[in-house]
Amino acid sequence: MEDLQQALAEIHLIRNQVARGTQFRGYGPRCIAFTGLLALSVAYGESLWSTHVRHGLTVSVMIWLATAAISLLLSAVDTVRRARRVHVDLAEEMLQSAAEQFIPSLAVGALLTVVLLRVVPDDGWLLPGLWQIIFSLGIFASCRFLPRLMFAVGFWYLAAGLCSVIVCSGPKVFLPWTMGVPFGIGQLLVAAVLQIGVEKIPEGE
Amino acid sequence: MTALVTHSHGLTFNELKNLCALTDGNLNRHLQVLEEAKLVVTAKIADRHRRQTCCRITALGRKKYVDYLAVLTQVLNDAKAREAGDAAAKGAQGAITG
Repeated sequence: MEDLQQALAEIHLIRNQVARGTQFRGYGPRCIAFTGLLALSVAYGESLWSTHVRHGLTVSVMIWLATAAISLLLSAVDTVRRARRVHVDLAEEMLQSAAEQFIPSLAVGALLTVVLLRVVPDDGWLLPGLWQIIFSLGIFASCRFLPRLMFAVGFWYLAAGLCSVIVCSGPKVFLPWTMGVPFGIGQLLVAAVLQIGVEKIPEGE
Repeated sequence: MTALVTHSHGLTFNELKNLCALTDGNLNRHLQVLEEAKLVVTAKIADRHRRQTCCRITALGRKKYVDYLAVLTQVLNDAKAREAGDAAAKGAQGAITG
């Protein structure tokens, strides 16, 4: 019985190693592009609304947390379905690797939001920039298993995050377009890189 | 195959020889068979002014290897279940005779 257990453990180890050396193709370009368009639409809607009704930081944060939650849910469902279809036998290992790389940045972003809003709510205008910088770290962590061009998208989010901090530091307010433009264009770039990457890989890779 | 599948960028002939603990002739023969089956590809590369043979697993090779691991896992799980069943039956028989 012990020999069988050991053999199964070794196979599990090999499968994990194979998964680590395989490009992850679970992220769907269409779904990612949709989240980008959603970010642009929400920014447009919020900027129109804010010209008629003045709303505070909490409302803005809630709007964007809801947008992020919808995008995450859609992406997660699409990624799981796609990974099971594309990676078949290795799907679970590949999904686990992808989650291990990206989820820490989401968790850091969520915790930072809670702490910032509770401890220094007046500095909530920093959130768009910080979210983009943290998101860039998630992309950099995932780059190893994605098309090489994804590195450039990581730089986009990093640069956009730093620019957002600079732009928002003047009026010290949460500006809708500092969320909409970076995430809208960023997600469209991710979708484009995934689309190009997928096309370059022969079927069955 | 295990060495190649865990190194997606490929391995040189010498690296593969050391990992598999095989002789040149033996490894050559293995690679020839795998290449004929389109499971691996070999290519000559120039590295530090000397030419080396680089071996890489193909998409088909990776797929076949993962399929093989799935079958192997199934066989081992079946054997484990049978062994557990035998042990339970022996225990029950012991309790009846005792």
